[in-house]
Amino acid sequence: MTDQTTGWELPAEDEPTDPTAIRVDQYFPHPPAKVWRALTEPDLVTQWLMTTDFVPEVGHRFTMAGRRVEATGFSGTVASTVLAVEPGRTLAVTWTDAADPDLVPTTVTWTLEPEGHGTRLFLEHAGFDPDDPTAQLSRRIMGGGWRSMILRRLGELLDATD
Amino acid sequence: MPRRLKDSELDRLFAALANPTRRDILDALLDGERTVTELAADFDMSRPSVSEHLAALRESGLVTERPAGRHRIYAVTAGPLGDLADWLTPYERFWRERLSGLGAVLDRMDDDHAPDTKDDAR
Repeated sequence: MTDQTTGWELPAEDEPTDPTAIRVDQYFPHPPAKVWRALTEPDLVTQWLMTTDFVPEVGHRFTMAGRRVEATGFSGTVASTVLAVEPGRTLAVTWTDAADPDLVPTTVTWTLEPEGHGTRLFLEHAGFDPDDPTAQLSRRIMGGGWRSMILRRLGELLDATD
Repeated sequence: MPRRLKDSELDRLFAALANPTRRDILDALLDGERTVTELAADFDMSRPSVSEHLAALRESGLVTERPAGRHRIYAVTAGPLGDLADWLTPYERFWRERLSGLGAVLDRMDDDHAPDTKDDAR
């Protein structure tokens, strides 16, 4: 990682963040069994993610219908296949734009870890194409760890101004 | 979800950020607002050069200035950087928003109605 305290002595191009994956985690003051339900019961998933016909069985194919996102060319419908189910612990599904089935699917993996009286939920969305023009541009302009730093500081800034 | 940036806005942002010195200045401003004199000292640059970079950053909307006595104070504007971050990593923002939605759903759910699954089902 870049030394955050010496912000402007950045390495040249040798420390890009992984452009092929997004990792986010969050603590919820609820037990893993409850978080698991919210991740796997379609009527609950619909409330925070997208409308879905999800069934937690490996190999099950399902779709999720959400809003179209112009900025990313996302059609609004995700086609998925369940890759792994370990109740209360792990759920992995593929994630492909239903309108663009030729794309290499990305994968979304949820991992639940008990923490105190609650749950820490880890999300990894992996398999993005490193040769994607946006990813390339992002690396070229925002190289050297600058991007991740800016995103973090920006998050702090936004939190402070909300 | 992120709103789409106009190409011209993006061009301006990228043009401003393509220069490493300007990224450094922006980085310094993310730590807190500063005057030209302070920035010039930080970077061991002449004040006119710093001003020139600040003008480019201001034009792109990344930075604002306000007068304070005989000085001008420069600060980062969150908006355009946020737009840029959305454009570069749309999914990151997407998931953070979804996770906060998930938190709201969890808060609304009954604790009682835990089916017979246990946390440590296996």
